[in-house]
Amino acid sequence: MKKWIRSTAAALVSLGLAGMASAGSITVYTALEEEEIADYIAAANKAMPDIEINVLRLSTGKLGARLLAEAANPQADVIWGWAVTAMMDPRILEMLEPYQAKGSEVLPAAFRDPEGRWFAPTGYMGAFCVNTERLRQKNLPMPKSWKDLEDPAFKGEVLMPDPNSSGTGYLHVVALLQTLGEKEGWAQLRRIDPNIAQYTSSGSKPCKAARAGEYTVGISLAFTALKSIEAGYPLAMVFPEGGVGYELEASGLMKSSDNKADAKRFLDWTMSPEAVALYGKFKALVTVPGVKPSAAAVKAGLPADVGTVLAKIDFAESARRQREIKKKWKELFGR
Amino acid sequence: MSRPGSAPFLRRTFDGDRLLAAVCLGVPALGLVVFFLYPMVIVFLRSITLGDGSYGLANYAEVLSTRGFWRATRHSMVMGLSTAAISVLLGFVIAHGLHRCAFRGKALIRAAIVLPLLAPSLVQALGLIFLLGRNGLVNRLFGTDLDIYGFWGLLIANTLYALPQAVMIIGAALALSDARTYEAAEVLGASPWRQFRDITLPAARFGILNAAFVTFIITITDFGNAAVIGGDYSVLATEIYSQVIGQMNFNLGAVVGIMLLLPTVVAYVIERQASKRQEGRGGSAAVPFVPTPSAVRDLPMGALSFLLAAAIALVIGIVVYASFVRLWPYRFDLTFRHYAITLAGGYSSLWTTIYVSLIAATGGTVLVFLLGLGLRRAPAAVARPIQMIAVMPAAVPGMVLGLAYILTFNSTATPLHLLYGTAALIAAVNFYHYHTQAFLTVMTGFRQLPVALEEAAGSLGAGLGRIATGVIAPFLAPMLISAFFFLFMRSMVTLSAVVFLTTPKLTVASVTIMRLDDAGLTSQAAAFSTVVMLVVALALGSMKLLMRRLGRAAHGAGAG
Repeated sequence: MKKWIRSTAAALVSLGLAGMASAGSITVYTALEEEEIADYIAAANKAMPDIEINVLRLSTGKLGARLLAEAANPQADVIWGWAVTAMMDPRILEMLEPYQAKGSEVLPAAFRDPEGRWFAPTGYMGAFCVNTERLRQKNLPMPKSWKDLEDPAFKGEVLMPDPNSSGTGYLHVVALLQTLGEKEGWAQLRRIDPNIAQYTSSGSKPCKAARAGEYTVGISLAFTALKSIEAGYPLAMVFPEGGVGYELEASGLMKSSDNKADAKRFLDWTMSPEAVALYGKFKALVTVPGVKPSAAAVKAGLPADVGTVLAKIDFAESARRQREIKKKWKELFGR
Repeated sequence: MSRPGSAPFLRRTFDGDRLLAAVCLGVPALGLVVFFLYPMVIVFLRSITLGDGSYGLANYAEVLSTRGFWRATRHSMVMGLSTAAISVLLGFVIAHGLHRCAFRGKALIRAAIVLPLLAPSLVQALGLIFLLGRNGLVNRLFGTDLDIYGFWGLLIANTLYALPQAVMIIGAALALSDARTYEAAEVLGASPWRQFRDITLPAARFGILNAAFVTFIITITDFGNAAVIGGDYSVLATEIYSQVIGQMNFNLGAVVGIMLLLPTVVAYVIERQASKRQEGRGGSAAVPFVPTPSAVRDLPMGALSFLLAAAIALVIGIVVYASFVRLWPYRFDLTFRHYAITLAGGYSSLWTTIYVSLIAATGGTVLVFLLGLGLRRAPAAVARPIQMIAVMPAAVPGMVLGLAYILTFNSTATPLHLLYGTAALIAAVNFYHYHTQAFLTVMTGFRQLPVALEEAAGSLGAGLGRIATGVIAPFLAPMLISAFFFLFMRSMVTLSAVVFLTTPKLTVASVTIMRLDDAGLTSQAAAFSTVVMLVVALALGSMKLLMRRLGRAAHGAGAG
């Protein structure tokens, strides 16, 4: 009987300790994409074999909810590659400790926090996903700009993420407001509203629905478009004329970390030449000067210099005015 | 609920029995307090926490003043009522077919009807789109222009998900019935229709009302279907998502989460009022009812049941098929390549999930049984509030429950934080998320437990422990088994709460599926889902086999 109790107690203790970190290990929260994470972590393990790197991958929004809910007793040592618009939330900035990762000084000032709480060597862009087969069936012209989507022929054929639920939706709205100016930006959104079949809660869903032939145009992400084209879907990726919205992927050190030495080594590694070389393989948008886009990206239609298609975005403003813009959008277009 | 008739024997074994009854009630009640009530109190506190950290009702004012909230409320109510009406009606047809009609192939219907419970939510959503989407099979084959996104698509999806739960609960009411009542009616010359109206329906009333209650609340709290197929038909669950995930504003989301409890309380009070009159109807030595063939009744009932089962199987089956197709819906050559899954942790999460689900199902079934037992012996003043709390969990959207668990179990203020990041906590959230359905299924059985049966055993000197294991448990075996399987299946595939509680080292299958789909690898997500469904089906099959063997062994020993 005693033996039974002891083994049960031992099992309970091991159950209880299962999630606890040990020395030489760090926990990293990230919203980067699965495939790149696998490659980066394999390389990082080789470069730092003495650190056990535990990665939790969640989408941008879910990661934010989790970080805030855990605020009383944060579990992560590092936030790695997370939307900068979310990172700039005062409640998140409060959790971060200023740290100038080795190598991050090469980044232009726009891509790092003046107080050193985050830096962003990579980013992701929006794009239109156009199903070429459905486009042909419906006899529609290939849309090249937001203005082209005003055409009544596109009625019920366009999907867009709801900026209130999706960071991707917000990225597109901000790009319009900042490139066209406040007044014209809202007017542009109003003119395409009648053609939008649904405002979705997920940012990648419009592209997935377009590639499956459910709708013709999905206002979505370049990443999803690239992956879909690679997989063989009849899809074209379009960057709307006048500038497409984008988001930076920022990293930072958690104040609460109990293994800051290793956390800092990991952050340094993300700016190492080895890591930067890998960004070239996966990312459409690298802010480290001198990195060329990958061959696959060029093949899928990315220009050699992505800077030519990007909108000019002021991220500080985009983060600061978030609540107000989302609220106004909901008043105008909420369904 | 105290019965004066049982007083003498209660007095004799006073101490032991009282203590045991208190433990029966106390342990599950404590579980409910720690794993449901306390987290919900924290959600409530967040709902009244303002931007500057003070308390007040401004969040409520803000939410209630928006047009979107009231529209979503209206939509949720209409959707909840429609889904409840349809799934209870169809659920009754199937449960009645299974328990009260004589036709072949019931095993097939049973197998098809549980599919939506063991299918990851992605499967059902994909299945409906593959079938009924704008570019779906139906539109392509018939050249039609159906558009399911919106009210109708959402209604179909919600009904698919609610139907098996309605069948389970109504089935619990129809499974136990005394053949002698029907024999007596037969002798008295009552027509089959009279027998149905005057015996079957009243006996099933508690089950029907419970099923209506459950299907209503799981519909108003479900986010997955609304997001995928609801189109612009906004519901309360999408409002919560938009606040919590889209705008990182848990406090406003908490307001909607708390508001969702209101219709649940109202529905429950109505349900209680309506089902008050049924208690311990069964005779002391009920003879199990065995349906005799009747073409007028069996043909339409059987045909309808098969039709529904086939529709469900088609929705799930098309996703299984698509997981073998090179590129749905463009290149239909078959391949195994989607099964070579290496990203998002690969297949490693499967075993953890099975282990967690077994804990949730075993622990959950025992707790629910004890709770039912304890409630029978408790005075009404104690039983009523506990019963109320026991049926509440289904009213909490998984996302809210998951985040509430973080707030509760990640705070170093209490020793509860030792549970954070453990498999035990994931098992707990899975059980308490589905507590309502398991509890009501077992309670539906308890309702029919003949009082005389318990009393007879008591007067023969059996204590509560003996009565519980020797008399009540065997009588309730069908309900306990279906509660166990229900908890096991849901634990294997539920996502909404668990996604917030997994850690880098401890992840579950549903999260892997979500990550694969997030990565754009929908076919791999379908392939992984197929493997999960296969594993669940195998686990269910072997457990059934084991149970049959144990049952036979126990029976043999008893006879010998």
